[in-house]
Amino acid sequence: MKSYILRKLLALPLILIGVSLLVFLAIRALPGDPARLMAGPEATQEAVDNMRSRLGLDRTLVAQYAEFAGNAVQGDLGLSIKSKLPVVDEIAERMPYTIGLAVCAYLLAISIGVPAGMIGAIYRHGWPDQAVMLLAIVGASIANFWLALMAMNTFSVGLGWLPLLGASSWKSFILPSVTLAVLPTAVIARMTRSSMIEVLAQDYIRTARAKGLAPGSVYWGHALRNALIPIVTIIGLNFGSLIGGAVVTESVFNWPGIGRLLVDSVRYRDYPVIQGVTLVAVTGVVMMNFLAELAIAVLNPKIRLD
Amino acid sequence: MKMIQQKLRRRLVLGCALAIGFSMPFTLPALAAAATLTVMQSEAPRSMDPGDQTATFTAAVLDPMYEGLVRRDPDLSLRPALATEWSADASGLIWTFKLRQGVKFHDGTPFDADAVVKNFARHLDTKRGLAASGRLRTFLDSVTAIDASTVQFKLKTKYPAFIALLSTGPCLIVSPTADAAGTIGTKAVGTGPYKLMEYKSGEYVLQAKNTEWWDGAPKGSDEIKWTWTTETSVMSMALQTGDADIVNPLPPAFANQLKNNTDMAVNASEGSAVFWVSLNTKMKPLDDVKVRQALNYATDRDGLVRAFMQGYATPANSPLAPVTPGYDKTLAPYDYDVDKAKALLAEAGYPDGFAMTTIVQDQEARIGELLQAMWAKAGVKLEVKRMESGVWSKAAFLDPAGKEKDGISSSIASWSSGVSGADLQFRPLYYSRSASPTGANLGFFADPKLDELIDKAASTLDEKARNTIYGEAQKVVNEQAPHVLLFTKQDLYATRSTVSGAWMIPGGLVVVKDARK
Repeated sequence: MKSYILRKLLALPLILIGVSLLVFLAIRALPGDPARLMAGPEATQEAVDNMRSRLGLDRTLVAQYAEFAGNAVQGDLGLSIKSKLPVVDEIAERMPYTIGLAVCAYLLAISIGVPAGMIGAIYRHGWPDQAVMLLAIVGASIANFWLALMAMNTFSVGLGWLPLLGASSWKSFILPSVTLAVLPTAVIARMTRSSMIEVLAQDYIRTARAKGLAPGSVYWGHALRNALIPIVTIIGLNFGSLIGGAVVTESVFNWPGIGRLLVDSVRYRDYPVIQGVTLVAVTGVVMMNFLAELAIAVLNPKIRLD
Repeated sequence: MKMIQQKLRRRLVLGCALAIGFSMPFTLPALAAAATLTVMQSEAPRSMDPGDQTATFTAAVLDPMYEGLVRRDPDLSLRPALATEWSADASGLIWTFKLRQGVKFHDGTPFDADAVVKNFARHLDTKRGLAASGRLRTFLDSVTAIDASTVQFKLKTKYPAFIALLSTGPCLIVSPTADAAGTIGTKAVGTGPYKLMEYKSGEYVLQAKNTEWWDGAPKGSDEIKWTWTTETSVMSMALQTGDADIVNPLPPAFANQLKNNTDMAVNASEGSAVFWVSLNTKMKPLDDVKVRQALNYATDRDGLVRAFMQGYATPANSPLAPVTPGYDKTLAPYDYDVDKAKALLAEAGYPDGFAMTTIVQDQEARIGELLQAMWAKAGVKLEVKRMESGVWSKAAFLDPAGKEKDGISSSIASWSSGVSGADLQFRPLYYSRSASPTGANLGFFADPKLDELIDKAASTLDEKARNTIYGEAQKVVNEQAPHVLLFTKQDLYATRSTVSGAWMIPGGLVVVKDARK
């Protein structure tokens, strides 16, 4: 187990180098010139060239990457082209908002998705199952963006119950986290259902029933515990798409998190910020996957991580 | 089994506690009181330094905090601000300004000749590479202090828009102390009626009254809060919920919807952004003036204004906007006449029409589609290439070889030189030496006669004589038709109906320093 953790931790820098190189090259392959965008459409070529050299974009790609990587190792992700603030500060200021939103959304998704999936499995092919699965399909296919606008129009503009924008009080969390939770809820519900169906067909469940255990104890104590492994896996693996959803949700709700920061920085071709946010997001996804694997090992002692 | 469950539970509890702990730093200041005017715009400010950015909506955010030697009043006239008087010598190249005395920057630094000299020196220093320096560098030679309250500007060439330019971006005076400290990009320090309280780059800019302002107590709200969103529908919702008191710019699609709501006021005024299709005059068959004229006849400008701008635009008859000095409203070069377009195409040797392409930014893609349908009636097959704005600007500024290679025969573009003068429209867009990539003459138009007129106008300081030359220049351009003129956009913004005192500088810059609610 220890050697497994060590190996995973050693692989992290390699993943980050690979990803940073990929992002570094990909954003530079994008058409659109930050120097031209900064200097404005009416700038002369001379002004654009001056801006380019000020931003350090007139150097070779190798030199640019070497500087970026060298500084990144020391925890310095450079200065934002647009705001001129250190990228690390920009991310640090927004990180709690994104984590807060992600945690709320995930707690919501788990606390609704798992019981919903269990109901589906227990009443397999009955109407509760069909209702749950129908909702799951709708939830998985609905556009996050559209849902957010509809929710805002209904609960903020129409009813006036909840704040429209920003992150000024606990109430501000409700609309964005519900919107963000819809997709993972659907995924978790479906996964819980299929995993539970499989487990419920096992001999030990029949035994548990045969020895007269109460249904609650059979489902929660015996079945769910054994069905948890794929559920935890899917929760870990879905963290990436949750971050993806946060990009859209944060932009619509003016949520001051890193998702909105990313959208703004792509618009301005703010290379250092795009690189920084991507690195941090990838680290988060890798760590979540890693934690999910550890959790699985804890859940099932038969799985040995070495 | 029990033990493992307990352990698991403990871990879960610990995990949740950690997660919630991470999400706790949400102790934000309470939402501002009623005396805060909230303005929502469509993009985030790009800098707190007016000399290091060129975007109109950022200029609006900076406007309450900074002043130039000259300022523009609500009637659009130019008035003394940080300078009390000025004069030019007979050559029109040496300008002397008397500075206002007793003015202090928000950080306590005194405003004097030294501050002015430093402000312009930073633009003339190429190493600084400030975003807004370009225009100044084309005509400004040097700025020197005569004494503590007198400065002298030496120009390389005569520049009619000089005084107007002094009220805008690169000429707004920043604290030399803050500039030397390198903090001006994030911490605005000017002399204006409002000073920066807080700039959270992901959320808002908060400004409060400058009680020590030289022109008495500021007339506006106690505080101004600037927010932004890229979602146009969110802007309209924010106005309805009161999350915003002013939204700018208001998309035309929402204007009609809000107009019927008595809680809101929609404001439309003549704008300065001219939209046109720049034709690649180096590419066949657009090198033929008859073909270019035919496209102009084939364009239904009124239809475009109705369909794309919901009526909130003026069909264009000149490369200048109606608010630009020198604009000639009597010009009527091309009526919508498909038969005439066909006849001209036949004369040029294209009786069956021809095929061409255009590039357009996402938000204006509909213009391309509408032109496609209109021009098809004259037999012109237009292929519309829709692009994200960064991609578009790269393609639009290609040189002739690059455009030939990528098959770009035209570009749908807009330009706003506002009230600052016709030279800022004519020179970058139609002067032969401004051909892209150097300037924004995207169609590589070159006409010696027009070049001469542009130069002559630029060195004519008498306004009436200058405008006569610009009148002639407009005729030349319209006749040669290096473009298909489309429309001039109206500036649209909306406020809660309780808001008063906001006004618009043509081009989309909403002025709120005197606004109250």
